[in-house]
Order: sequence, then structure tokens, then C-alpha cells
Amino acid sequence: MKNTSIKKRKRKKFNYRLRGKIVSYIVLTLIAVFTIVPFIWTLSTALKSANESIFSIPPKIIPVHMTLDNFINVWTQLPIPLYLWNSVIITFWGMLLTMAIATMAGYPLARMRFKGRDFVFLIIIATMMIPVEATMIPIYLILNKMNLLGTFTGVILPTAVNAFGIFLMRQAFLGIPREMEESAIIDGANIFQIWWKILLPQVKPMLATLGILSFIGAWNSFLWPLIILKEQSKYPLTLGLYRLEGAFEASTREVAAGSIIALIPILIVFLLLQRHFVNANISSSIKG
Amino acid sequence: MIYKTRHAWTFLFPAILLLLVFSIIPIFWVIYLGFTDYNVFTPPSWVGIENYEKLFNDPKFWAALKNTILYWVMVTPAITILSLLLAILVNQKLKAIKAYQLAYYFPFLVSVVITALLWKWMFATDGMFNYFFSLIGIGPIKWLTSQSTAMISVAIVTVWQGLGYYMLIYLAGLQSVSKELYEAAEMDGAGFWRKHWHVTLPAMRPIIFFVSVISTMGAFKEFTLMLVMTNGGPVNATTTLVFLVFKEAFENINMGYASAIATVLFLLVLIITFINMKIQGTDQKA
Repeated sequence: MKNTSIKKRKRKKFNYRLRGKIVSYIVLTLIAVFTIVPFIWTLSTALKSANESIFSIPPKIIPVHMTLDNFINVWTQLPIPLYLWNSVIITFWGMLLTMAIATMAGYPLARMRFKGRDFVFLIIIATMMIPVEATMIPIYLILNKMNLLGTFTGVILPTAVNAFGIFLMRQAFLGIPREMEESAIIDGANIFQIWWKILLPQVKPMLATLGILSFIGAWNSFLWPLIILKEQSKYPLTLGLYRLEGAFEASTREVAAGSIIALIPILIVFLLLQRHFVNANISSSIKG
Repeated sequence: MIYKTRHAWTFLFPAILLLLVFSIIPIFWVIYLGFTDYNVFTPPSWVGIENYEKLFNDPKFWAALKNTILYWVMVTPAITILSLLLAILVNQKLKAIKAYQLAYYFPFLVSVVITALLWKWMFATDGMFNYFFSLIGIGPIKWLTSQSTAMISVAIVTVWQGLGYYMLIYLAGLQSVSKELYEAAEMDGAGFWRKHWHVTLPAMRPIIFFVSVISTMGAFKEFTLMLVMTNGGPVNATTTLVFLVFKEAFENINMGYASAIATVLFLLVLIITFINMKIQGTDQKA
């Protein structure tokens, strides 16, 4: 008698769990549809041929006449390969500068004692409160004075120092035991050797995190290219697609194909380095 | 130690130089320019508080301020609450849950320009979004081309893009909440909602607060979405403060007036930061 009631309760609990799981999966899938559909639809638009209308009721996810024409057009008739190359250059130098400057600045802030250290650190942290949206006018004027309007240098420099990146690297350097430097000093290493050979290998994980953050930032950068670059031949993909979309030079299908091309590098890097992205996300949230 | 002061400054030099040139000097310069009349071609001339007088009588400024606040009110509560719910949902031991998490996170990595383009197509009158709504008998809605829905549309995209990012932040917090607390709540017969109301919410307070602050900052600074999706329209319905700064500075070449608006924007962000630090300070004391 007692035994059966326990069984009943167990089964009830099991049913309750199962129902919870099913409800969870339904909700999870609906939200996934919400996040993924814009990508799928863009891909479908990019694959539609010129004589198939993009907007039909009901919308057709799978094109009737699937074609790669748009991708070929984008590649051969529109300057997308050039934009892609510009994005690569801006991203490469942007990442390199951000990482180099942050690892350099983080080192003395964490490992050395000198007059004014805490003050400098405070100022660096305080600059995080200055939104670039508020200072874009003077920065534009400064770049103008430096003759950097219309150049990649002008696009890269304003965002090359990442105060938050300096903060991250300082935290990473703080965690290294003192003995490592001391034994290197006894071996006669100079200051650059200590930084480059002894300390940098210790902060590789954080450097990877910073690298990912600055990769996303540089690959997607738009504000400075928009303000500074006037020549079409200098546009990165973001700016190029924005201009193409507004200019009737390209059809919606072709802009869609260009967008897919712009997404691919991010998608590849993301799938290869998933775990690091999650870490980067979490450490980028400690800044508060 | 062999470290000398000059070593420290050598390593700090590039960072300090660039911060001076691209952050510290500009913020003082923009405040100064706010008191001048400046069109780039002739040197700035001091006009005192004229720009600010103009500003307070400019309906465009008030509309932009209103739009900024409207956008913020739509985005921040939605992001703060929905991404917490989502984090609770994905914090279960379910098969393929990692794949779901990655799918939710991916939009955050996509360039805002691409995001804006994707959603422009989604929001077209004959687009996908209206199709979903037509299935439940609503529509068609002129998402981006009607003054009353344009800002909501931009807000939806912002939530779409940020949801997974904030979800991961919450998730890290959720995983550090002690399992025993949940077990104790279950022993007391608490159901799903009661359990989270009494255990999750108190434990997550600092993170909830943090998320709301970060998304507030983001909301006051957003500009690209409006530029690409609606170009500030229709009829200025999505022209925010940053958008107005951009338009006045780089389209109308009113650098002085634009600087005054930028200064107001900076002060707003500063005030929010200080309120945030105050609340966080009292929170820690309590």
C-alpha cells in the first residue's frame, strides 16, 4: 500500500520533470528561431536569382531557383574583395596595436613601484567613462591636424588604446609570482627580456582574451571609417556594405551576399574558439 | 629590484600618449568648443553660452533627448529581465544546451551594420517579421516606416543583439549560486517561480544591477543602428542625441553647436555613472 503511493509520487515527479523538459525545449527552440532566422533569411535572399522576388507571401526560405550569381557578381563587379582586404588590414593593425600597448602598459602598473603609479592607473580607468561618441568632434579635428583624414592610420589610432585592455593585462601580470622575475634578473636579463621572455608567456590566456575582444571590435569598426574615410577604395566591409545598400549600385540580393561574406570570418573564428569567446565575454563583464 | 622609474614610463609611454591625444584632450576640447561658433574653415570664435541658449529652445534637441530616453526605457528593462530569464533557462542540464547558448550569443559578434541590414529586410512590409505576425492575425505593420513603431523596431534589434551577451554574464553568476540553497527551497516545497524569486533574485542582485547599468550606457551611445536602419527617421522619430551630434557636426558642419550637444551627452553619461557608483556603494554597505 505504502509502496505503491511512493511509486505513484515518483512517477508524478518524473512526469513533472519530463513536462518541464519538453516545455524548456520548446521555449529554447523558439528563441533560437528568433536569433537565427535573420541570418537564414539573408542567406536565402543571397541565393535567390534576379527573376525571383525577394518578398513574397508567404516568404520562401528555400529559393525556387537557387543560384550563386549574386556571390559571383559581388566578387567580380562590386569592390567587395577590396573592402574585404581593407577590413583585414584594419583588423590586423588594430589588434596588434591594442594588444601591444595594453601588455606594455599593464607590466609596470602591476610589477613596478614608482611615483605616480596609482595616479596614472586611476586616470587610465577614469578614461573608460569618456564615451567616444561625445569626443568624436575633437578627435576628428586632431586627426585633421595630423593629416590623417582618409587614412587607415586615422581609423586605427583613436581606438588603439583600450583602457579596459590595460586593466585586464595589469590583472594578469599581478598574478605572477615574484620569483620568476628575480631568477631572471640573477641570470642577467634586461628589462625587455623579462617582459618579453619571462612574463608574457605567463599571461597568454588573458592576451588571447584581449585579442578576441579587439578582433571583434576592429573587424566590426564602423564609426571611424564612416567619419574619416571618403575614398571608396579605402572602405572596410562594414562601411562598404552600408554605402552600397544606400546607393542603388547593388541590388538587395547582392548586399545580402556581401553581408554573408562579411559574416564568414566571424563565424569561423567563433566556431574555432568558442571557449575563449565565453571567457572573453565573462572577463569583459568584470569591468563594472 | 632593478626596476627604475624610467623603465616604467617607457612602457607606459604609448598608452599615455594615445590616451592624452584621443581621450583626455578631446573631452576638454569638446567642452571648450561648446562655447564657440566653429565651422572648421575659420577659427572658432567664443560665443559664451549662446549654443546652450539655442539648445534649450531647439525642439530638435528636446525631441532627440526624448527619443534617447524612450529608446533606453524600451531596451534596458527588456534586456535586463529577458536575458536573466534566458540564463535561468539555459542553466539546466539538458542535451545540446551548449549549442543553444552559442546560437543565442552569436548575434552579439555580428557587426552592427550587418545586424541593421539583416533586420531592415526582416522588417520590410512584406518581410519575414510581418509574416510571423500575420500567422497570428496581426498586421501588416510598417515597422520602420511609421513614426510610432520605428523606435520599437530598433529596440527589438538591440535586444536581439545583446540577449546572448548578457545571458552569458548572468550564467556565470548563476553557476556560483550555491546548489544547497535551491535544494533547501525545494525541500520547503517551493515551485519553479518561488524558488527563483527567493533564491536566484537576491543572489543575482549585483549582476542584475550591473547589466542594467551597462545596457543603459549602451543605450545612450547607440547610433549605428539608427543610421543604417532609419537614418534617424521617419521624421526624426529615431534621431537620438548621438545621432544629432553626428548630423550637426558632419553634415551641417556646426562643430560648436554639435559640441554643446556632445557635452550634454557626456554629462548625462557621467551622472548615470555616479548614481550607479552611489547605489553600488550603499549596496555593499548594507
